[in-house]
Amino acid sequence: MKNKKSSVILFIAALILLIISLSPLIIVIIGSFKSYSEIMTNAVSLPKSLSLINFKNAFKEMNYPRAFLNTLIVTVLGTAGIVIFGSLAGYMLSRTKTRISYILFVFCIIPMMIPFQSFMITLVKISKSLHLINSIWGLSVIYWGLGSPLAIFLYHGFVKGISTELDECAKIDGCTPFKAFTKIIFPLLKPTTATVIVINAMWIWNDFLLPLLMLGSNKSNKTLQLSAYGFMGQYKMQWNNIMAGAILIIIPALIIYLIFQKDIIAGMVDGSVKG
Amino acid sequence: MKLSAKRKIIDKLNFFGFVAPAITLISMFVAIPFIMCIYYSFRKWNGIGKTSTFVGIDNYIRLFTSDTIFKGAFIYSMIYTVFVVLFVNIIALLIALLLESNIKGKGFFRTSFYIPNIISLIIIGFIWKFIFGRVFDSLYDTTQFQIFGWSWIGSPKLSVVATIIVTVWQSIGFYMIIYIAGLQSVPDSIIEAATIEGANSVQKFFKVVLPMIIPSITVCVFYSLSNSLKMFELIFSLTGGGPGTSTTPIALDIYNTAFNNNQFGYGSAKSVVLFLLVAAITIWQVTAFKKKEVEA
Repeated sequence: MKNKKSSVILFIAALILLIISLSPLIIVIIGSFKSYSEIMTNAVSLPKSLSLINFKNAFKEMNYPRAFLNTLIVTVLGTAGIVIFGSLAGYMLSRTKTRISYILFVFCIIPMMIPFQSFMITLVKISKSLHLINSIWGLSVIYWGLGSPLAIFLYHGFVKGISTELDECAKIDGCTPFKAFTKIIFPLLKPTTATVIVINAMWIWNDFLLPLLMLGSNKSNKTLQLSAYGFMGQYKMQWNNIMAGAILIIIPALIIYLIFQKDIIAGMVDGSVKG
Repeated sequence: MKLSAKRKIIDKLNFFGFVAPAITLISMFVAIPFIMCIYYSFRKWNGIGKTSTFVGIDNYIRLFTSDTIFKGAFIYSMIYTVFVVLFVNIIALLIALLLESNIKGKGFFRTSFYIPNIISLIIIGFIWKFIFGRVFDSLYDTTQFQIFGWSWIGSPKLSVVATIIVTVWQSIGFYMIIYIAGLQSVPDSIIEAATIEGANSVQKFFKVVLPMIIPSITVCVFYSLSNSLKMFELIFSLTGGGPGTSTTPIALDIYNTAFNNNQFGYGSAKSVVLFLLVAAITIWQVTAFKKKEVEA
């Protein structure tokens, strides 16, 4: 009896905490349907009518389809590169037991300790001279370099647990190392690949500072976060449009999260505990 | 012999074929920029011109002696970090304990508490700017509670509190799931044994559960420390570092120094200091916590 009662109390406590935790988002939803004058008289009351005009404004002003496509390209291309280069290097560095291999491994993972802001100034300069700025393709390539250290670290650890007999069998069967890797090893790395995809896709999709530094003011290059920032800064007090814009930015991430929530949470835990 | 020599070369080629792309990318986009930053921290450079002049440790001297903005940024970053680390870890652990106490709808709660974490920090900043502004004004009009009448992002002191509140709100979900994973790894048998021995729930938590989840605490404190010391985006959109420079963290000061004031050499010196600061604090934290793990 006592147990049942206390579990009801705990449930209610959790529910209250959750409502507090999500109330800012409820306020955003309410705000996004209101007119400008409604928000200025009372920001928290329910909207009088469900008008989609704010969403229409935000959609147009943020150049949403273009920004969405840009973000998608950078996220997919950036994450794919990190998976490919990270798994190749992580696998080989884990399998090769030489001094040089160990030194290179340390070289690869030390960047995890360096804050991005500690080298962003010169990163901009280098990217400029490599003609990687003002382009979403160039931006994706830069993500390969920034995302590889953690990926190499995770793959390196996981490969240790895979028997080397597999590599040897493939060798005897006449596979080249590259073919053995793509056909036999890479499919076995699936759990780590999932983790690497989750961590990097979430990071790149939501990243703001690197695109801000690299993409400049060209409108057609903007990612979602950049055009949201531009739009929201420009229409400072038009909270109705800004909240609608916020929802448009949140929704794609939220949908993906709700579909893959188990993998996303597992990936975040896995990557952070090991990293 | 000849065959094995050839084999060795092929092995080496294979090794470099696998490793070279990643090494090149990391060198180009992390290692070389970082080394260049150290180099430029000893020089005066406006970032536009091709030339820079060697100034020795002048940048560092200036940074520690005459730069009140950097000093302010340093103090703000420290205050912000201490409070965020403290609150985020305590609250996240409490929620994790609550959800792990076998309440109904555990999965639903876990999924929902994590939601603020999937929203980009830039958007979070704008959402809370709206809440601290228009929403609090409206709430003050209807409830007359003083707390809603305060100028949360308009006054230098309260805006510091505001940035801490928003960061804690946004990041709790992330730390909560790590604590949940930690709590799930505590074997039931140990807790049962403690129950049989007559331990109450407070004793059970401090004497049995807490020592068992120190690895999770190490991880969470590490991430909350390094994320707080590097915080940029949320503050960029919430307060813009203001009013004045009261909520300017070191990372934002670096950005302003380099990209708004065109002092790239001086900004580089600040970057190096940020690196040393983050490295020193996190290394100290991890070693200190690892010792506790062994004892437990």
